[in-house]
Amino acid sequence: MARMTRREFLRTSAGAAVASSFAGCASRGDAPAVASTPSDLAPNRKGRRVIVIGGGWGGATAAKYVRMQDPSIEVILIEPNKRFVSCPFSNLVLSGVRSIDSLTFDYDRLRKQHGVKIMHDTSTALEPDARRVRLAGGFLAYDRVIVAPGIDFQTEQIEGLADAGDRVLHAWKAGPQTVALARQLKEMPDGGVFVMSIPPAAYRCPPGPYERACQVAWYLKTRNPRAKLLVLDANQNVISKPALFRAAWQAYPNLEYRASSKVTKVDPGAREVTTEFGDKVRYDVVNVIPPQRAGAIAVQADLVGADKRWCEVNHVTYESVKAKDAHVVGDATIGIPAPKSGTVANSMGKIAATAVVHLLNGRPVPEMPPINTCYSWVSDSEAMAVVNAYRIENGKVVQIEQKLTPGQSTLYAQHATAWATSIWSDILA
Amino acid sequence: MRALVIAVVLTAALGASGAAAAGPTDTPGFTKAFSCSACHGRAGASRADAVPVLAGMPAWYFKKAIADYAAGRRPSPEMEPFSKMVGTLSVDEIAAYFAAQPRESSPVGVDRAAVAGGRAASTQCATCHGEDGRGDQAKGSPPLAGQPPGYLLNQMKLFKAEKRSPGDENLTKMKTLMRSIDDTTLAALAAYYSSLGR
Repeated sequence: MARMTRREFLRTSAGAAVASSFAGCASRGDAPAVASTPSDLAPNRKGRRVIVIGGGWGGATAAKYVRMQDPSIEVILIEPNKRFVSCPFSNLVLSGVRSIDSLTFDYDRLRKQHGVKIMHDTSTALEPDARRVRLAGGFLAYDRVIVAPGIDFQTEQIEGLADAGDRVLHAWKAGPQTVALARQLKEMPDGGVFVMSIPPAAYRCPPGPYERACQVAWYLKTRNPRAKLLVLDANQNVISKPALFRAAWQAYPNLEYRASSKVTKVDPGAREVTTEFGDKVRYDVVNVIPPQRAGAIAVQADLVGADKRWCEVNHVTYESVKAKDAHVVGDATIGIPAPKSGTVANSMGKIAATAVVHLLNGRPVPEMPPINTCYSWVSDSEAMAVVNAYRIENGKVVQIEQKLTPGQSTLYAQHATAWATSIWSDILA
Repeated sequence: MRALVIAVVLTAALGASGAAAAGPTDTPGFTKAFSCSACHGRAGASRADAVPVLAGMPAWYFKKAIADYAAGRRPSPEMEPFSKMVGTLSVDEIAAYFAAQPRESSPVGVDRAAVAGGRAASTQCATCHGEDGRGDQAKGSPPLAGQPPGYLLNQMKLFKAEKRSPGDENLTKMKTLMRSIDDTTLAALAAYYSSLGR
């Protein structure tokens, strides 16, 4: 074999891994097809290596910030998707206010500007004791791993959902489903009924479903004025910015909100959902946002707690309380009094990266709290926000203050756009 | 028929400042300030129209702004909690960090046609903010040069509406001046000051 640089080797090996994952036809969610004698996909490692699993808001940020703070550390980011699609602002795709392309970015700058090695592949298993990550084609060893798998859906909690396939969309991971749901909304019959269901907390982006309700209601009011939006919420009340959302909904008489209305069954043949109290609701278009838990790899590696849903972490280092040298960031975590938001995931990514760099260099880890801002668009031109600031007290994150905007405005919409512009760059550029 | 697709001009371009523009990352200030980049850009080099550039901001003005936000004197639902957080982390270190970053002008485009009108209207502003828009600490006047036009315009409108630093008598002159200028001229002033130092 001709001599190769390590980078060339990794690139070639990554290609082989991707090819073999197609050859094995390992569909996500099935038992991982583990080779009987797994091969090391990047052997002859000399320096320190950090693997980041998941290139979303937390993971991509973490990969960049490790490299920014110590370029001598090799960082491999494992992410199945070739392009990053922003969940924040994706409700605006439903209303046609933004295009999905305007929320879609590639990973080139992480690679070229920061030297992050990116493998577009799926991690099938994490083995914390062996300090390695399994891929379909072999394994990668690490010194520390940052697990940022986002969320997966508990499809089994709603009867009929698993078999419904693409007939019942969640659109809760921005991408093809977002575009498909936008099309369904656009093609809904005149005077039709759009039903959306909100899962019990905790789920990704607490204000997200209520923002989506605003966007769907705004679209219908503008384009299909006899149509109706029915929101079935499993929770007892709007769980984020309740007074602000209820004020915003005054502009949408076409929106009916029902609290304590958990959807337990969906029947796409009859175009009908059933709530836990047996109420049946007919729909023309349905959007079921299913109950959620941490992404599959966190469950497989047993990083989740007794509830089998979310990962508890050290509040300063983001190291898992259940596995050494494995850090978890973003929506997959629980226990830190901060919401499952994009800003928090970005914040956790920076802090975990800093902790990893300090730990690998044998230095004390600085104590940094996360921050949160969640902007919600209530129409095509107005937004509002909730902001949370935190501090560390005795090794735990505690809130300093939560503040809401006094209402909705075009000024906060400008701030929302500014936030998105800045944070997308902070994650990827 | 009303076109529904608006504001889609953002071309999925992230545009970054150079790789080395992050400043030293091994100073305590870097870690304490990196939360700010979610809105204010890398090392304070804001790329957004409605959020100010912090890179190169003099420490005295950064600290004044943080103190005013934290006390609610400069009302901002976003900055009030974060200013309290800056206080718990060390306002001196964070102010010093941003002051030490190379001053970066906003990359947001300005209306060149408006710049000339803004220059003509800027005589009274220059009394306190300087001919070059670099500000004057002795007068408590911050630098304006190179800030994003949207941010500058929003601040002038907030002064005009008595929503920025309401009741602050030190700013009476500023607010009176803002009330005497129509919004088109305010936009021209924003374009002019944003264009300075680029």
